[in-house]
Amino acid sequence: MDAYLIAMLVFAGFYALMALGLNVIWGLTGMVNLGLVGFFALGAYASALLTTKLFWPMPLGWAAGAVVAAAAGAIMALIVARLRGDYLAIVTLGFAEVIRLTASNEIWLTNGTDGISGIPGPWRGDVSPPEFNLIYLGIVWTAVAVVFVLLARLSHSPFGRVLRAIREDEDVAAVAGKPVLWFKVRAFTIGAAVLGGAGALYAHYNAYIAPDGFAPLLTIYIVLALTAGGVGAMRGAIIGALFVIALLESTRFLSAIIPGVSPVQKAALREGAIALSLILLLRFRPQGLIPEKTRTKATP
Amino acid sequence: MMQTTIGRRGALLGAAAAVSTFAIGGRAFAQTAPVVFGALPPLTGAGGPYGPAMLRAMQGVVEAANSAGGIKGRQIRLAFEDDQTNPDAGVRGARKLIDVDRVQALMGTWASSVTTAVAPLCWENRVPLFTVSGADSITLLPHQGHIFRTQPNSRLQIETATKWLLGKGARRVFHMAAQSPFAQSSQDVMTEVMRAGGGAVSGYVVYERDKTAFRSEVDTIMRSRSDTVMLNGYLPDVTILLRELYRAGFDGRRFTFAYAAPASVFGTLPNEVTNGLTTFQPSPDLNSPAFTRLKAAFGSTEVDPYSAQVHDHATMAILAAAQGGDATGTVIRDNVRKICQGDGEKVDNVTDGLRLIAAGRAVNFEGASGPCEFDERGDIRGTKFRYEVAEGGAYRVLELV
Repeated sequence: MDAYLIAMLVFAGFYALMALGLNVIWGLTGMVNLGLVGFFALGAYASALLTTKLFWPMPLGWAAGAVVAAAAGAIMALIVARLRGDYLAIVTLGFAEVIRLTASNEIWLTNGTDGISGIPGPWRGDVSPPEFNLIYLGIVWTAVAVVFVLLARLSHSPFGRVLRAIREDEDVAAVAGKPVLWFKVRAFTIGAAVLGGAGALYAHYNAYIAPDGFAPLLTIYIVLALTAGGVGAMRGAIIGALFVIALLESTRFLSAIIPGVSPVQKAALREGAIALSLILLLRFRPQGLIPEKTRTKATP
Repeated sequence: MMQTTIGRRGALLGAAAAVSTFAIGGRAFAQTAPVVFGALPPLTGAGGPYGPAMLRAMQGVVEAANSAGGIKGRQIRLAFEDDQTNPDAGVRGARKLIDVDRVQALMGTWASSVTTAVAPLCWENRVPLFTVSGADSITLLPHQGHIFRTQPNSRLQIETATKWLLGKGARRVFHMAAQSPFAQSSQDVMTEVMRAGGGAVSGYVVYERDKTAFRSEVDTIMRSRSDTVMLNGYLPDVTILLRELYRAGFDGRRFTFAYAAPASVFGTLPNEVTNGLTTFQPSPDLNSPAFTRLKAAFGSTEVDPYSAQVHDHATMAILAAAQGGDATGTVIRDNVRKICQGDGEKVDNVTDGLRLIAAGRAVNFEGASGPCEFDERGDIRGTKFRYEVAEGGAYRVLELV
């Protein structure tokens, strides 16, 4: 049981990192990004390829994962500069699918849908699997803590205030003399870097990545984590990620104790229960578990 | 706006409650004395049409073994999780099975990506993995003997099918492949075999399987003047392709994997469209006693090859544990080959197998999916292949070779 809880906390750490990354782009700046799994995949593939084919040391691979995703984020932000709302959502969703399909087809580089296996992990093989899990738990949650502190500072800095201003009304921000596009590009780059870093860490934990693992399902989980936790608040992103993992995993045990339903019905009930809890949460607490504290939300 | 009633404290308490239920739930389920085996079939997602029947087949074997007294008097419990046909969900499910249920063997993984993602967890925790996934790369992993695959790898399948087509007079075969791990390797094997046999692959198109129309692809097939089209895809896309080929008036042979056109296809397509469709599959041994028994247990539902294979997974794991005298992963791994190949007495079900092993006799298990013999990499040997043709809304067996 302990090993399982630790493994799930590691997963929660990945989800928290992704939610934090998304929070900069969507929560602070208001740019809908349904392509986050694409940046996550870029980071994962960059690090996996550099460490397995060019034998880079792992920390360099992780950094490279973040850099590659950040570069893609910057380019992406420029391309979508004029898009907002639904249109931005569609383009970013398309971006993630392009990354997944490229990974499926460019077999010379990514080994296609067979994926890349045997990705090294820190001291993997030298220590027992439970110890490896503990080591990784430390690494992932240290990363979460560092990213959280940095992003929380950023969100309360003048830079963060400009991002919020852009979220509320970018014309007003522009009139106030803020170069909106430049701020958006930087926000997108920072968020994508965090997503890419999360992907790199994920690849080395799982030891295997394949295009199938970067399906839109993961994007949905992270968007839900952020919505549940509270869009805009960095603490909300982490609480939301823990909440989503707890929900995904607790339904496993809850569905197992319901008598008189077939396994298929249990699997369906489990998915239904996850959906229902999120609907209820959004109905009765739309601001999330930890709402963002800003003056812009003050009631008139 | 309505006043919300859940405050931050309430919400956090709720989240804490959700976390603790899963801790408590876990404890309640960790108190198990029996031997636990894990099933990880796809109950939802792309594998959804197969997973439920697979799980039923495994549960059937476990029930039979339990009523025969279990493994050395210990009862067997089959814990299962849904892999959602997704590697990420599959890994979390496998984690739960290995770390919480402490399963001694894992069986029934279906999608190749799930199997490859789950495999490292299995060998690190010394849990043997029985799988029906076909990707060639799976048994090449450094699995230290922990992987047993009852599905012939894709190379062997395509090679056998292409040779059969050549034997039936096919000379120009169009290869229509869904994007998958084996599209390109299938193409390479087909080209090689066709060329050696004096024929040719007249065209090759890889398509995105989620599309809802294949007009341009079908036009390409028509233009190629092929005598045969190999539909190397999955049920949803092959259904659409069959309909569009019929509309376009294609009169050549339509050939596909049985999993891409199971009997349910007759419910969605009219008979004029399906008549003449030829399917092939690594065959369960249709006349074997094990298969007949499985068929009886399934009643009116058809037994697909995966159900036959996982039936054998569960039987082999139980017999190997009984043979080794201890139900641990390592013992099961080391004893699988002792109970399914060699000169032992032939058995086709878990009840007889357990009885003979208890009597100290050597057994050679021959299952519903075939003779169940593995090479040193964990790949199955000596599988039979079955060819069927659709006629008036049902399949008729052409050949079993």
